[in-house]
Amino acid sequence: MSVTTDKSVAQPAAPAEKTPKWSSRVLLLLLKGRTLIVLVLLVIVFRAITANYLSQSNLILMTKHVSINAILAIGVTFVILTGGIDLSVGSIAGLAGMISGGLLYSGLHIFGVTIFFSAAVVILIGIAVGAGVGAINGLLITRLGVAPFIATLGMLYVARGLADLRSNGGTFPDLSGTAARGNTGFGIIGVNSWLGVPVAVWLMIVVALVAAVTTTRTPFGRRVYALGGNERAAILSGIRATRIKISVYVISGACAALAGLLLTSELGAAYPDTATTFELNAIAAAVLGGTSLFGGRGTILGTILGAFVIGFLSDGLVLVGVSSFWQLVVKGCVIVFAVVMEQAQQRVQARVAAR
Amino acid sequence: MKSRSPRRTCGVTLGAVTALLALSACGGSSDSKSSSGSTPSTTTSESTSSTAAAGGSGSKLIVIITPSPDNVFFKAEQVAAAAEAKKLGYSTLVLSHDDDPTKQSQEVDTAISRKAAAIVLDNAGADSSVTAVQKAKTAGIPSFLIDREINKTGVAVSQIVSNNYQGATLGGQEFAKLMKNSGQYAELLGKQTDNNASIRSKGYHSVLDQYSGLKMVAQQSANWDQTEALNKTQTILQAHPNIKGIIAGNDTMALGVYAALKAAKKTNVIVTGFDGSPDVVSSILKGGIKADVLQPASQIAQMAVDQADKYIKTKSTGSPEKQSVDCVLVTPANAAKVKSFAVLP
Repeated sequence: MSVTTDKSVAQPAAPAEKTPKWSSRVLLLLLKGRTLIVLVLLVIVFRAITANYLSQSNLILMTKHVSINAILAIGVTFVILTGGIDLSVGSIAGLAGMISGGLLYSGLHIFGVTIFFSAAVVILIGIAVGAGVGAINGLLITRLGVAPFIATLGMLYVARGLADLRSNGGTFPDLSGTAARGNTGFGIIGVNSWLGVPVAVWLMIVVALVAAVTTTRTPFGRRVYALGGNERAAILSGIRATRIKISVYVISGACAALAGLLLTSELGAAYPDTATTFELNAIAAAVLGGTSLFGGRGTILGTILGAFVIGFLSDGLVLVGVSSFWQLVVKGCVIVFAVVMEQAQQRVQARVAAR
Repeated sequence: MKSRSPRRTCGVTLGAVTALLALSACGGSSDSKSSSGSTPSTTTSESTSSTAAAGGSGSKLIVIITPSPDNVFFKAEQVAAAAEAKKLGYSTLVLSHDDDPTKQSQEVDTAISRKAAAIVLDNAGADSSVTAVQKAKTAGIPSFLIDREINKTGVAVSQIVSNNYQGATLGGQEFAKLMKNSGQYAELLGKQTDNNASIRSKGYHSVLDQYSGLKMVAQQSANWDQTEALNKTQTILQAHPNIKGIIAGNDTMALGVYAALKAAKKTNVIVTGFDGSPDVVSSILKGGIKADVLQPASQIAQMAVDQADKYIKTKSTGSPEKQSVDCVLVTPANAAKVKSFAVLP
């Protein structure tokens, strides 16, 4: 249980607590662990309604559905930790899917010849495209001084438009590739399993571990928190803000591209509307997990738990057969409730510390 | 932090944007889907035919507005309507409203300010489109509606739709036959604000509900979307592993359903769709999706343009406002003869 909201950097050791009232401490513990508690409650409630909810196959399936949003949300968490926001991740996912899909389906037409790349190369190109779009976001924000909200909002439209342009609005229907072209195997990341667990889930685990280590154990991670905690202080203490900021948008873009490739691979088809509005799910997961939109506070583990709450909730509602209208209402309420709880935690924390 | 000059920064950003554009655009128009290849952008492609248009005074512009061409069905409408208009000597402006009534209203404004001779419209909602069509009428521009009706008569000149109810009963009958009139099934509905979603569902149920052996165990909306259909099908299969068939409200959802079944190695589950799109037809030929209801999209779009032409010249179409064209069932028996939303003889 470490959904702690560590302001790890530049925070002097907390003033020695003079044995605060135990009830406050229990309350604080509950609030800190709220995402996990909500998740456990969800599981208990849905298990009571449908027997299938906790079956092994359904747990694997729900985790697979979660993995897409979790990977998007991990990237977005880096950005939010610096005090920024990335609205373009859904569109980047769609663009990466379309570019990879196009390369698999119709190849790259250049100088009158058509080149087909192997599936692995196509995946790398897709991720590179995402990272590249992220880099443009970062440059716009740092070098040209565009506010993150506006820069990435613009990119939301641009990337979606480019995805449409790639196929003239159409769908690339079959991405299985042919042996003759040497480009089979794109389905592996989205469809296949390893040791009974989908490859997408393994990828989520790897991305989460790397991200968690990066944020908590590396100088880069500390600088990300420092920048979000107090940008001016961070810059004055010698942190190169521009470089860190561009890096987080590159990370976010690359994560988005990976998610887009997973979606495309699973579907076996690429269409330009892929992952529309997914950026909101990703931001919601980060916020649910305790990431502060003002920056400097939040953890990767919290974000993952947030993604699990959203995913397990929406799949559970479908499983039970709730209408899609109510699904939206419930999801919205849970997100707002999470932020209310975060504010409550801040207050209790302050009270405990003040004692 | 402050070392680089802004000019160099602009250069870097611009360079990156250019590279991205190049990667995104290359090969875009050369795959089999793009019909003419003359205009790379679909959402606002404009093309003027030779100036030797049919005689007469006034505008020679027909504005064609449809939902997003992401769905090949609407793409086929755009292509067929634009081709027919060009054949008759009109210039065309093709726009997409992405199922957003506000955007549709703005596009009608565009048509008015361009003094269009007629609007061919696949609208963004039965109720929310009435005002837009009325606005065009007030400005003296006749509208010819295709594929979807609006909930008011006397505003548009023609409303030509495929008979969705008749088509859905065809689909329902074939689905029941494939299910051998018994077993559990699930239904994926379209966007619930779209009239066609509920008409098709009613058509399906007018047949399916007559068989006591057929039991609907799940009904969910997947909003016409492929990914959503995939995810919802996977979850429905968890709740109801013994499902024998899934009936989808359109083809993009049927494709999403089939992708989920393939991943779950349950391709023996019966899937049927609605639209007649090339991807589903090719799946039928491969023994994947079992049956489909074809809407004559191209034919309807052509009819609308023909009637617009007649109306411009004679102030009458000679046909009633509401017209419906029957749908056709596509099965493995006739799938090979289907081409761009029409069954060839």
